[in-house]
Amino acid sequence: MDRAPRRPPLTVLLAVGGALLVATVLVTVTIGPADLAVADVGHSIGAHLRIPGARPVPVLLDAIVWELRLPRVLTAAAVGAGLALAGAVMQSLTRNPLADPYLLGLSSGASLGAVAVLVVGVGLLLPVAAFAGALAALAATLALARTGGVLTPGRAVLAGLAVSQLAAAGTSFVIFWTATGDSYREILSWLMGSLAGATWSSAWIAGGALAVVGVVLVLSALRLDAFAFGDTSAAALGIDVGRTRWTLMTLVALLTGAMVAVSGAIGFVGLVLPHAVSVVTGPAHRRLLPVAALTGAVFLVWADTLARTVFDPRELPVGIITALIGVPVFAVLLRRGRGVAWS
Amino acid sequence: MELTLTGVRTRLGGRWVVDGIDATPPPGRLTGLLGPNGAGKTTLLRLVAGLLVPEGGAVLVDAGADPGAAATAPVPVHDLPRRARARRIALLEQESSSTVPLSVHDVVALGRIPYRTAWGADPDPAAVTRALEHARAAHLADRAWSSLSGGERQRVHVARALAQEPELLLLDEPTNHLDVSTQLSLLAFVRDLGTTTVAALHDLNLAAAFCEHVLVLSGGRLAAAGHPRDVLRPALLSEVYGVDCDVLTHPRTGRPVIAFAEPASDPAPTAPAPPTDGAPA
Repeated sequence: MDRAPRRPPLTVLLAVGGALLVATVLVTVTIGPADLAVADVGHSIGAHLRIPGARPVPVLLDAIVWELRLPRVLTAAAVGAGLALAGAVMQSLTRNPLADPYLLGLSSGASLGAVAVLVVGVGLLLPVAAFAGALAALAATLALARTGGVLTPGRAVLAGLAVSQLAAAGTSFVIFWTATGDSYREILSWLMGSLAGATWSSAWIAGGALAVVGVVLVLSALRLDAFAFGDTSAAALGIDVGRTRWTLMTLVALLTGAMVAVSGAIGFVGLVLPHAVSVVTGPAHRRLLPVAALTGAVFLVWADTLARTVFDPRELPVGIITALIGVPVFAVLLRRGRGVAWS
Repeated sequence: MELTLTGVRTRLGGRWVVDGIDATPPPGRLTGLLGPNGAGKTTLLRLVAGLLVPEGGAVLVDAGADPGAAATAPVPVHDLPRRARARRIALLEQESSSTVPLSVHDVVALGRIPYRTAWGADPDPAAVTRALEHARAAHLADRAWSSLSGGERQRVHVARALAQEPELLLLDEPTNHLDVSTQLSLLAFVRDLGTTTVAALHDLNLAAAFCEHVLVLSGGRLAAAGHPRDVLRPALLSEVYGVDCDVLTHPRTGRPVIAFAEPASDPAPTAPAPPTDGAPA
């Protein structure tokens, strides 16, 4: 890859991505055990949003669209967008192409919180417990990274690793000690990431976190660009390196915590998609971040649709699908020589 | 840019790495920052860039074209707002690598960050192209950064610094790992910019050939300052670098040329003198 490829304009990418996302939502809602037409879906959504001209649809059909499938599809879209965004930002902040949203121990902390609810019967709603677990892990990671030294990305990653291992050990212990057959399957599905339990409140939590944090991240695009050649170079370009890194890392962690709370730890979306998308957009974050978010949304909706239909009536955890797709994509990216810059 | 250092000192890990430096690099000229490894060159450059705040003394710069400043009293560089500072001072680090798959144009565009609006628009969209052409790197614009040679990378880094439109250019060992002709053309280019420039250099003969002024650091203190002809004398070089040398006069330029003798007992190799028969452009 000697010459830098020509890159399509951002407006085109956003228009294509946006259209693809709308089509994806309308089409995937029709897919499932009950056969629906795209028109039914359109009319059902239209009626709920009080769009003039929407024709009423049968109650049962409406319930399938509005109560079952749409919240799940929208949650998948928000989680996919959030994870792709969080991964892209994390990779830039740590200057580590292998960084993902779970780098600071968030997923393990969330898992421990979730397992505490599922197995031990701690009296909290599962998303609340998962979010609390993620925040506790983040706090432990930052505290550990801060002890006796300057906060560097390297220290944060190592501290995250330690906290991750500790929380994972805690999770394994709880499962080993108390889990029975049924709860074990439930836990496993949560650990692998699953959208099976998605409701409108999941969609609101994930969508709300995405809207708030996503806007801040996209507005920070220039500051993220400045990190390309490291901290000193960013500082020389007028960036407050310390404040930028820790503010954005905390925001990413909160976003990730919200995503993990509704869906468990879905892997590979945050690791692979930013790399794949930057092949098309180039590395400028003003272009990369919004396109990565749209791509992540479309990707996870389709992955979840596969997860719930391929072995119908049984559901696969969507994390298995994302790994099955993510690993070959990663391999292709490595083959394309993008590994040159990773040495 | 008018630059004055008064009693600048700072510690790193408890040691006084820069310990009371007074200096006035001449405006619009190339100043060489010399001294053995660990003398404090990189730290001093970071202090001058405003990235570190000195524990004592100050790095003072003129107030610049700031319309609010009626008086011309010099201001401490670390008191300048970050973005304003980044528009006036550019720093090229010694080791500068990236894991991001950037094109050359992307790299140079980084230099425009201090000028961009929150939405990323550059008020002067032609600045990147201008900087690329100025640094004679326009032919590289579409190349992938990772595919460049060391000399090409340094040229692109210079273009990135120029895109910042700095009044003060700080270079940390810009000639490292470059072949001799690239070293000569880079320093000649920087010298002829007419921008106040401070460059940390290891190669004393390059400093002697291109610098108008040199600052020699030793253990964080200023051992000598002035024109290379007056400063780079055998006694000083013996004291600061612990080398035995003769200082000759270049037959064509009249500049000093340092010829090193073999160390008497220490088997460690000294820096070899580069060829000096080519007159610098």
